[in-house]
Parts: sequence; structure tokens; C-alpha cells
Amino acid sequence: MKIKKLFKKPRILLLIVFIIFAILAINPGFTKGVAIKYVAFNSTAYIAGMRSPEEATSLRDLEVILYINGQKINSIEDYAGMITSLPINSSIRIKTNKAEYALLKTSNDIGLTVINAPTSNIRKGLELAGGTRVLLKPKEKITEQERQQLVDVLENRLNVFGLTDVKIKPADDLLGNKYILVELAGATKEDVQELLGKQGKFEAKIGNITVFSGGKKDIVYVCRATEQQCFAGIRECLPTNGKYYCKFEFGIKLSPEAAQRQASVTKNLSVITTESGQQALEKKLDLYLDDKLVDSLLIMADLKGKAVQDIAISGPGYGTTKQEAMQNALKAMKKLQTILITGSLPVTLEITKLDTISPTLGEEFLRNALLIGFLALIGVALVIFLRYRNWKISLAMMINCAAELILLLGFAAFVKYNLDLAAIAGLIAAIGTGVDDQIVIADEILRKESFYSWKDRIKRAFFIIFGAYATTFAAMLPLFKAGAGLLTGFALITIVGISIGVFLTRPAFAAMLEVMLE
Amino acid sequence: MFRAIFEKHYKKLALIPVVLLVISIVFLGIKYATTHEIINRDVSLKGGITATIYTEKEIPVKQLESKIPESYVRKLAEFATGKNIGYIIETSAIDEDQLKSILEQEFGLNLTQENFSVEKTGASLGQSFYKELVIAVIFAFLFMGFVVFLIFRALAPSLAVIFAALTDVIVTLAIINLINMKVTAAGIVAFLLVIGYSIDTDILLTTRTIKRKEGSFYERLVSSAKTGLTMTFTTIVALLLASIFTTSYVLKNMFTIIIIALFIDILSTYLTNAGILYWHEKRKK
Repeated sequence: MKIKKLFKKPRILLLIVFIIFAILAINPGFTKGVAIKYVAFNSTAYIAGMRSPEEATSLRDLEVILYINGQKINSIEDYAGMITSLPINSSIRIKTNKAEYALLKTSNDIGLTVINAPTSNIRKGLELAGGTRVLLKPKEKITEQERQQLVDVLENRLNVFGLTDVKIKPADDLLGNKYILVELAGATKEDVQELLGKQGKFEAKIGNITVFSGGKKDIVYVCRATEQQCFAGIRECLPTNGKYYCKFEFGIKLSPEAAQRQASVTKNLSVITTESGQQALEKKLDLYLDDKLVDSLLIMADLKGKAVQDIAISGPGYGTTKQEAMQNALKAMKKLQTILITGSLPVTLEITKLDTISPTLGEEFLRNALLIGFLALIGVALVIFLRYRNWKISLAMMINCAAELILLLGFAAFVKYNLDLAAIAGLIAAIGTGVDDQIVIADEILRKESFYSWKDRIKRAFFIIFGAYATTFAAMLPLFKAGAGLLTGFALITIVGISIGVFLTRPAFAAMLEVMLE
Repeated sequence: MFRAIFEKHYKKLALIPVVLLVISIVFLGIKYATTHEIINRDVSLKGGITATIYTEKEIPVKQLESKIPESYVRKLAEFATGKNIGYIIETSAIDEDQLKSILEQEFGLNLTQENFSVEKTGASLGQSFYKELVIAVIFAFLFMGFVVFLIFRALAPSLAVIFAALTDVIVTLAIINLINMKVTAAGIVAFLLVIGYSIDTDILLTTRTIKRKEGSFYERLVSSAKTGLTMTFTTIVALLLASIFTTSYVLKNMFTIIIIALFIDILSTYLTNAGILYWHEKRKK
């Protein structure tokens, strides 16, 4: 009887409608497989017709790989094991939840970045999922337009380097400082320092004349992997002083103007015979990265005065073993290629904050957050029960806390907000405030002096609740901007949480008590 | 009996939090004069690194602290079983690579992305974080004072609310110093919540005692204290459980600050604020 009455209350119905929307936004479910986060351009997978998801795609709408060559894929481990176990030049049949693809495996990298298939649309932020967060501050004052330019170059640089799960956004603080906030999954500290912390000003000089520099204007093409017309890889490896030295080399194509510039400089140089008996020009081609000499290349005599467009760039890599030296050389090559393609940053950036959170710690943190959330709720239920000795009130409060949690998570999923540590603290603050308000309502309703009507009592409770709401709201406003955006999550979730409370769950709670205690 | 005590001695009772406030201000003043700081800022507010190493191997905290210059080490353990999970190390004196090599030597471990997390804050950024958060707290005070005045449209009750919030913040600051606790950026955010919670109970008290007329002042005070104390104790119990079981120092820091402040708030609300309101009511008659 009473349950029927509950569903006749418009406030309760409104809450139920919103909860349904929230659950739809969270879209929980159990799909086994690996979801495709990124497909590298022109990779084997790309050629087979696979594409990267649009940036705005919800997690649960990502394309999920279910089978490879008829074998069920349940996790990243399954996927990686399957791909590496197949021999080169064999065919791969990938069946996803949307289509089937046939690929030819040419190397172990088929161009896919995958994650375990998400079980909901809730996005885990840095502290929960692990990853790297970098806060960059320009070393000089910049305009808004310059900052946007910086964001574009950085984004391009990280993508060219092969980092796909990257979020870059401008951030400000209360003191008027401008920052750029970068969050990446699966990058190392060294990569970040090289790619983001360095301006990447590349110059090739003969004597003190710059003949070409990094970026599209002078360099029209950079060879990134050996193909028919170009070479990119390790040229030679030699032992030196108990260590190993490997030389990487890759081809680039200069613009006609840059080639002409080089020709006009080499024209005036004289030919000498080097120690090893080669005929070369008296001056070398010196390569500078951020004003530091990285390599000097001999210019062969036959190139004198010629506007050659194809040039080979080389550099060293060292290591205690040959393997290590090769790897270091290849890494250095990749970074140099990235910088040559994307050009230098308009200003130097300082890394003012660099956080790397291990994925293991992230998982541990999530487990712990769930545990303390659960314990806190038990604590609340216990105190409420001791105070009112009425299981109906305790139950109604727990239902409302759960409703608030679902609505907040639904909101975060809907606006694609990453739940990080700050946002979780906001969740706790919002639900804590919610409990306080519900106690105010319960007490007003249960008061002995019954010369007030239900409506009046609820009205009185809401006067107090609105007062408290307005002050908390006001307190959170400055936090939106403070701390270069790192506390925005806290302010946002708290404000949304208390607003949901005041306009949705508290009225529903009052209606619930009205029916249950009548 | 309580009623007689309150009605007779409300002025003296109201002075208890005031005395606490004065002692705290003197204490913080001495601290500021000697160290030029009112709180012990952690690395998130002054620059430096916080590293978390994830290992079951146990090394005494003191031993680690002696090996790492100017460091502060906390042990991470699973509360239920007491099992060692790892260590959190804070230092502003050395860089990440130096710290890593010391730790690798001490623990005999190879530190990788899997078992090692590092958060590094530049000194200038830490400094500006601190400045901004202090500004945020001051703004929060002003905004809330304004809102409270709008709600009650009377000077004495509004000032009483703001005074109570101020007492909560300052006495809590002194206690944190006394127990030698470091404050993180999140810790300062906790003060914003403290102001919010503090004002909640004060608004409840003021509304029930000033805006309503049923029963005597004392009866209204008791009914509002019943509600207010239930609110405060649910929050304290929930946060106490959470702070015991959390493995995140940032959350523990926030929760501890709020718990201390809530205890102070009980005094400032039901002794001082109630006293001022009683005096305000009596004067009106």
C-alpha cells in the first residue's frame, strides 16, 4: 500500500527519472575483450579499414575486439600474446563487436592501441588509472593565442612520437599565471622531459650559418621507417672503451629553398682530404638541438655547390651492451625525428609539476577508496540508527546517499569528466553534506510540537538547508581557478553534488519520510 | 540543571572558546615569529618530491629518514592485517634520480613504473599554490559572511556565525601544529569544508533560536543542539573510519583536519554562538 503511495509523489518520481538517466549515462555492463583506443595512420590495421574512435566517443561505445583468428580475447594479455605468437606474414582475422577485419601481419606492431574493454562510462583519472601528469609553465609571458599555438605543437609532438592517450589543456590560476596541463597514459619520465620540457629548436649549421632548421618550412619529409626510397635505423654498432656505441641514421627531404641555401654555402668551401682518406669539404654540417651540438656530419666533396634535397641525419646512442646501445640510439632517433617534424616551441616551457602514478598504485587506490566509502556509509547508518531507533529513517537515508552517488557518477560520465583524487574528495564532501541536510529534515519532521503542518515543517527545514547550500556554494567558487586547475574537480563535484542534493534528493527524502512515517 | 547553568553562566561559558582562540593566536604568533610560517607545509605547498614505493619489505622509518637528507617518511600498512604495503617519502633536498638510487640500494629493488610513483612540485609552484589557497580561504570567509548576513539581516547573529567559523579554523591550525602534522594542498581545501560545516551548524542554531518562537530559548537551543550534534557526530564517525582505513595521505590529512575542527565547532557553536544569541534575545526583550 505504502509503496504504491511512494510512487505517486512527483518528487520521488522526478528523482527516479534522473537516476534512470544517470544509469544510462554510466551504462554499466560486462563486455569481455579489448577496446580499440587508437589506430596508427597507415598501419596494417589502418589499411585493413580500422579507425581511431572520435575523441568524444563514450568509453562503452568503443569498438571492442572479441575474437582473433577465432580465439576469444578476454584481456590485454590475451591480445598481446595472440598478436606476438602469430608468425610474420601470416594473416590475422579480427572480429569486433562492429565488424570483421582481415590484416596481414608485417611486424609485431599492427598499429593498434588497446585497453581492457570498459565496464562503464566512468572515466578513471590519474590517481585511479595511473599515468603521468605534467604542469608546464611558459618561461616568459605569453598571449592566449601563443598558448593555443603551444598546445597545438605539443599535441602534435606527442602524437608524432606515438603517445596516443594524451590530454592537453590550458589552465590558469588565481594569480593570473598561465599553464598547460598534460595528462598521459603510459609515458616515461624521460620521454616527457625530452618532448615537453625542451623547446626542440633544431638547427643545421655550416660554420655559423644556419642552412636549415626543424619544422615543415625547411624539412618537407622525414623518413621514419625504412622504405623503398629511404633509410631509417641503425647504421653501425662499435665497442668503445668497454661500452658500446651505435649510430642511427635517417633520411630527410629539404625544401628547395633550404637546399638552395645549403648549396650557396658549400659553393665557397674548399675540398680537403680527411684522415681516413675521403674527399670532403673543409667544414662539417653541425647539428644543434636547443643550442647544443649533437652531431657533426662530413659533407662529401661531390656535393659542393649542389642543391641536394635528400640528406641523411645521424646521431649516437651508447650503452653497456650492444642491445642497450641500439635501443638508446633508436630512442634518440625517434625523438629527433619527432622534433624535426613538429618544429620548435615558440617559447621554452618549465616543468613545474611532474607526477607519475603507477597503474598498480592506481588500482590499489580505487580499491581503498571503495572500502573507505563503504565503511563511512556503515558508520553513518549506525549513528543514525542509534539516534532515531527507526530503521525506516536509516533506510531512507542510505537510499538517498546511494542515489546521490549514482547521480554524481552519472553526471561525471555524461560530461566525460575524469574522476581523480580531487573529484573523489568532492564526492565525499557532497555526500557528507547530504547526510547533514537529511538529519535536519528528519528532525524537523519528527518534532513533537505538531501545531505545524507537514508542509510548514518541510519548508522550515529547507530554509536551513538553503542557507547552508548558499554558503558552501560560495566557499567553493574560488577553488574553481585555484591551483592551476588541479582542484577544479573538487569544486565542480562538490557544487554539482550539493545542487543535486538540494534540488533532487532532499525533496525526495522529505517526500519519502512523509509517506513512510504517516 | 543544565538549563540553570546555561542561563546563569552563559557569559562565562561563551568565553571558553574565546580563551582557546586567544591561546591559539598567541601560539601561532610565536610560531610565526620563530619560523615565519603558521603551518608546516608539506612538499605540495613548498616544492619537492613525494615518492611512493610499493613493497612488502620492511625497513624502519628512522633508518630510511637518516639515509635520505631532509626527509619525512611514512609507512603504508593495511589496517586490517598490519601487512606492510610500502612507504611514502617526502623530501625537498634531493632530486628524483638521487632518491631513486638511495631507495634501490636500501630496498635492494629495481624501481619501475609498476612499483614506484613520484609526484614532483616545483618550489615556485608550491609557493603559488599556497598563496592561492590562502586567498581562496579568505574569499570563502568573505562570501560566506555576506550570505549569512543576507539570511539573518542582523549584525550580532551574523558576526557570531563568522566568529565561530574563525575560531574553528584558528584553533584547529594551532592543534595541527601542536601534533606536528604537515599540511598538504588538500589540507587547506579541508579548511574550506570546515568553514562550510561550521556555518551549517551555526545557521541551524541561529534559525531555530532566533527565527522561531515556540517554547523557551533554552528548549529551542536543546532541540537545535540535538540535530546539530547528530550531524557533527555522523560526520566525525564516518571520517574517523575513513581516515583509519585510507592509504592515501592526502585524504587522511583532509579528514584529520575536519575531525579536529568538528570537535572545536561543538564548543564554538554551543558555548559562544549560543551565548551570544541568548544575550541578543534578552537584550531585545
